[in-house]
Amino acid sequence: MILDVNAYLGPFAFRPLRHNTGPALVALMDAKGIDRAVVSSASAITYRNTQAGNEEVAAEVVGRGDRLIPFAVINPSYAGWRDDLHACRDLGFRGLRLYPKWHGYALPDPACLELVDAATAMGMPISIPIRVEDVRNRSWLVEVPEVPLAEVAALVAARPDARFLLLNGAGYANGPLGRKDSGLPANYLIEISRMDSVLTDEIGRLVAGLGADRLAFGTGMPFHYPDLALLKLEVLRVDDADRRRIAWSNAAEWLKLG
Amino acid sequence: MTEPPQESGSRRSFLKRAGALAATAAAGRAPAAQTAGKAETPARPKVIDCHAHLHHRGRASWEADDRALIDAADRLGIDVLCCSMLTPRRPATADGFRECNRWVLDGAKRFPGRVLGYAYVNPGCGAEAVDEVRRCVLDHGFIGVKLYNEHFCTDPIVFPIVEAAIELGVPILQHAGHIHYFLEDQPRISDGARIAELAARYPEARLICAHVCGGGDWEWTIKALRHAPSVFLDTSGSVPDDGVVEMAAKTLGVDRLLFGCDMSMTNGVGRIRGADLTDDEKARIFGGNMAKLLGGRV
Repeated sequence: MILDVNAYLGPFAFRPLRHNTGPALVALMDAKGIDRAVVSSASAITYRNTQAGNEEVAAEVVGRGDRLIPFAVINPSYAGWRDDLHACRDLGFRGLRLYPKWHGYALPDPACLELVDAATAMGMPISIPIRVEDVRNRSWLVEVPEVPLAEVAALVAARPDARFLLLNGAGYANGPLGRKDSGLPANYLIEISRMDSVLTDEIGRLVAGLGADRLAFGTGMPFHYPDLALLKLEVLRVDDADRRRIAWSNAAEWLKLG
Repeated sequence: MTEPPQESGSRRSFLKRAGALAATAAAGRAPAAQTAGKAETPARPKVIDCHAHLHHRGRASWEADDRALIDAADRLGIDVLCCSMLTPRRPATADGFRECNRWVLDGAKRFPGRVLGYAYVNPGCGAEAVDEVRRCVLDHGFIGVKLYNEHFCTDPIVFPIVEAAIELGVPILQHAGHIHYFLEDQPRISDGARIAELAARYPEARLICAHVCGGGDWEWTIKALRHAPSVFLDTSGSVPDDGVVEMAAKTLGVDRLLFGCDMSMTNGVGRIRGADLTDDEKARIFGGNMAKLLGGRV
């Protein structure tokens, strides 16, 4: 079983995406052998009012709830975010995605911490894409830095009861997020798509340093070819049980997928 | 490192397969069990990584790192790695690039049949650079020239290198990128438009535009190369974006695309494996086109 914790629906501001409707994404998942996927709005990355993007995703997920698990993009510096959070819960959203650098706030901001606490009280995991695109590809219009891993580490330490999914990141193995003995709570999963399982082998190093129970499979589709992450998982040197943990069970437990 | 135990009973078959088998299938290669005893089956093209690097010996772990490269190639079903080695500091001196090329030659001997060499030179070294290209190709069987960012490829100082490569019948792999901000550490990086301009000046040259998936705005690069039919596009790089290979195939034609990794090994293999192309088209990208370009040197 494969659970992709890093997927998207809808248009992106700076280039066309394929497979970005509900039916098209499910068809891609079928073609690639991916059972379920956590999806959020790609348009909400650049929409001022992210709730419009959440509503687009909710419409795409209708009738596909057995395959697509919606996460809401909430901007805690924007008017009405508390209303949006409750509306998303009522629409069946199961977690959040935060874009602090795109939306103009910092993870330690009081409003962000309030959002994290509110989501945690609702049983929602919080995913944080460390980046959206490779910096070399960026448009001349924007210069959005990556979310610093130090800020992420501070947040996971400050909110031990919350559950975090760290997406589209790399460079964990050299810092506290990548080590079991760093004193950080075990309240985060690291998604693998941006790292490799050969040569630098950061995924393998995280298995050794943090544990296979702390990793989750993700692709970044439809921004990315899903085949890249599938291949990383395929050639990763772990045993059968650890591969299943990464592919499915670590994240599935958090999402109560059974 | 040791191989993991064989999996048993996983629902998803791709999780059971070894990486090499997966890459083999993706490249249109028939698994051995299906070809055994069928002597009439035509030989499949080798999987050739057109853009790889051996490690500079200033790095303490160079030998283990080179072995890890071969191990990764084995796991991913890559038969041949076309390698260069860059000097740690650039612009390279003549002594610096000659040392790198000696070590590449040594690498080709350490990994026979797996490593082929590009001669890396700094065109700014003039006759010494041209002589090095000739020495590497004629005396040591290097298969091409690697140019980095010491000069724009349209700078006349580069032309003697291009003319030597034409005379020797070898391709030039040109480091390239088009990024919408100034790269302070690469003020003379070439891009697809400059490579197209060089191709117009030397239509008989065999030019490869390097790492479209590591060179910034890949849509820009593909469009810039559209009317330069003698330029090949290396698909390597770490950027995982969907749709690159399909746009390149549609705009440039499948026969101008060369599989490469530039050390981003799973991304390099995965994007060709995942592209919405036929098995035959993938096989041409994975190695058939590069084998033709090398004219029997593989």
